[in-house]
Amino acid sequence: MAQNDVVARMNNVFREVFDNPEIEIFDEMTASDVVGWDSFSHINLITSLEIEFDIEFTQQEAFGFKTVGELKSAIEAKVNS
Amino acid sequence: MTTQFFPHNNIGYLCTDWQVERGLGAKTALKLIDKDENLFEFSFAQLTDLSNQAANLLSSLGYQKGDRIMLLLSKTVEIYAFFLGALKLGLVSSILFTSIGEDSIVERIKDTDTRAIISTSRMNFRLVKVLQKLDESFRVLLVDEDQSDGQFVGIREQFKRASAEFVTPETDPEQYSHFHFTSGSTGKPKAVQHCHASIIDHLRSFDEVMQVNSDELFWCTADPGWVTGTTYGITAPWALGLTQVQLDANYDPALWMRVIERYKVQILYTAPTVFRMMAQQADTFYQQYDLSSLKRVYTVGEPLDPNLVLWGRRIFHCEIYDTWFQTETGSIMVANYPGLEVRPGSMGKPLSYLEAAILESKDNPLPNNTQGLLCIRKPWNSMFREYVGNPVVYQNKFLGDFYSSGDIAYRDEDGYYWYIGRSDDVINTAGHLVSPFEIESAVMEVPHVLDCAVVGLPDDLLYEKVVAFVVHDEQSPSLRKLDMGIKLYVAKKVASLASPKEVVFTDKIPKTKSGKVMRRVLKKQYLGQDVGDLSTMEE
Repeated sequence: MAQNDVVARMNNVFREVFDNPEIEIFDEMTASDVVGWDSFSHINLITSLEIEFDIEFTQQEAFGFKTVGELKSAIEAKVNS
Repeated sequence: MTTQFFPHNNIGYLCTDWQVERGLGAKTALKLIDKDENLFEFSFAQLTDLSNQAANLLSSLGYQKGDRIMLLLSKTVEIYAFFLGALKLGLVSSILFTSIGEDSIVERIKDTDTRAIISTSRMNFRLVKVLQKLDESFRVLLVDEDQSDGQFVGIREQFKRASAEFVTPETDPEQYSHFHFTSGSTGKPKAVQHCHASIIDHLRSFDEVMQVNSDELFWCTADPGWVTGTTYGITAPWALGLTQVQLDANYDPALWMRVIERYKVQILYTAPTVFRMMAQQADTFYQQYDLSSLKRVYTVGEPLDPNLVLWGRRIFHCEIYDTWFQTETGSIMVANYPGLEVRPGSMGKPLSYLEAAILESKDNPLPNNTQGLLCIRKPWNSMFREYVGNPVVYQNKFLGDFYSSGDIAYRDEDGYYWYIGRSDDVINTAGHLVSPFEIESAVMEVPHVLDCAVVGLPDDLLYEKVVAFVVHDEQSPSLRKLDMGIKLYVAKKVASLASPKEVVFTDKIPKTKSGKVMRRVLKKQYLGQDVGDLSTMEE
């Protein structure tokens, strides 16, 4: 799957989860950059990404991401595996 | 109740000008750390000027004594300046969680006749939708904008240019100061009203429990939208002239440990849920940091498991003190504190100036070791003065001369109190009380949902998790998508913390013959326990 495609689909998920149509994700983005990205909404974000890409994260993976870039890399690895 | 007076009888004045008057103007009031770990320090003199500028600006915009405003800001200096400035001007303000959903904001504004909300343009995506549901006279004041557009008013430059001279008027101690919102088992969240006299108990409780010296560094990690974050993250430490740390970033154990190590935090006040998250890290993780500055750690919000007390002692090499209070009580009522032997798992003892009791009814106090309602004899200074617009519900919170907390507890023969649980259906998730009714109302708006019931169930991390039992129609999409749709909709409409951690699809919600949801049955079914007497259940 093309990298741009992953980013676009991730961006849509971010907008839906955080109910913010203005979100534009970037690799260095962290939870502190997004209004409402707390530990509760993080679970919803991960599950929504799992549904969108038909993948699954382990609990350790789900809570190990520090940046959107790390999340993107993990999704790409799972989608392409 | 102790009748005491304090300078100008005004919380805002006491936290700022008064500290300057008594020679602490140059002392650091706030060490504010942003998400990139940059440090911004503000002295009491600077905090005085900033809050005066906020008061003058709000006055120039036409806000007057008694007007209600809300603050929807992260932990930036503006939240403190405007909260304190509003107090000086006589406004009545409420700080909201930044993760709050749009409908919850609208309801809170309408229920309290709030006139304006102070925020930043980061929140515009949500506030645009909020404004569509409000009167045209409502204003959003943006602290990071200069330009105005319709109901959005840019105040950045005006705030900078506002005069730093402001004379706080003498204030009636009973004048309303600030309000928070709390959930009940039925109905919408209620606005819990406090007054300026509450500062007396903020100070007394802080003195008695925290026992912080004037040269010690204090860190209350609570969000200021929570009563703990206001009472112990703003008013009490500053009214005592103490220096406090605030971190404008999400929970991250490594970041928190760096803050403690780098700034040598001595007294930490946090939540058991945070402790449970911290405890997921191996002990070796903490050995990377020099945490020797910590002298005491306090927790609040939900029961602190004895094992966590032991874990905390091992990791932080200091005592762990659990405390108990509620939005309605305004300040700590029952606590463990230095000088009192800590019995892990206990709530501790009532503070010296309060009388607690375990009651079955207003005329029936219960003996030691008997479970009943944890009650506090009224009045006290930080006791809530009303549920705004809900006088009947307010009256129902009292059993004769006692405020009834709704918490079930017992007192042992040595006077220690022990928490058992809630007497109602309110869910305590990560220290936040949420209403099953509010969540159910949102879930029922999700397409394909025919019926639902929400309960709180035990959780290793959150103490209680929100679980929604849902009956769906035959046209629903995949259950996984419906599950996610429900969670996201609740997060959007109510708040992320109210979003169900689990959705259980079922054929039927058990109800009584009069149509009341039998949450007891749902809980026991989920936990695999005997459901007991079902004679009142509908066929």
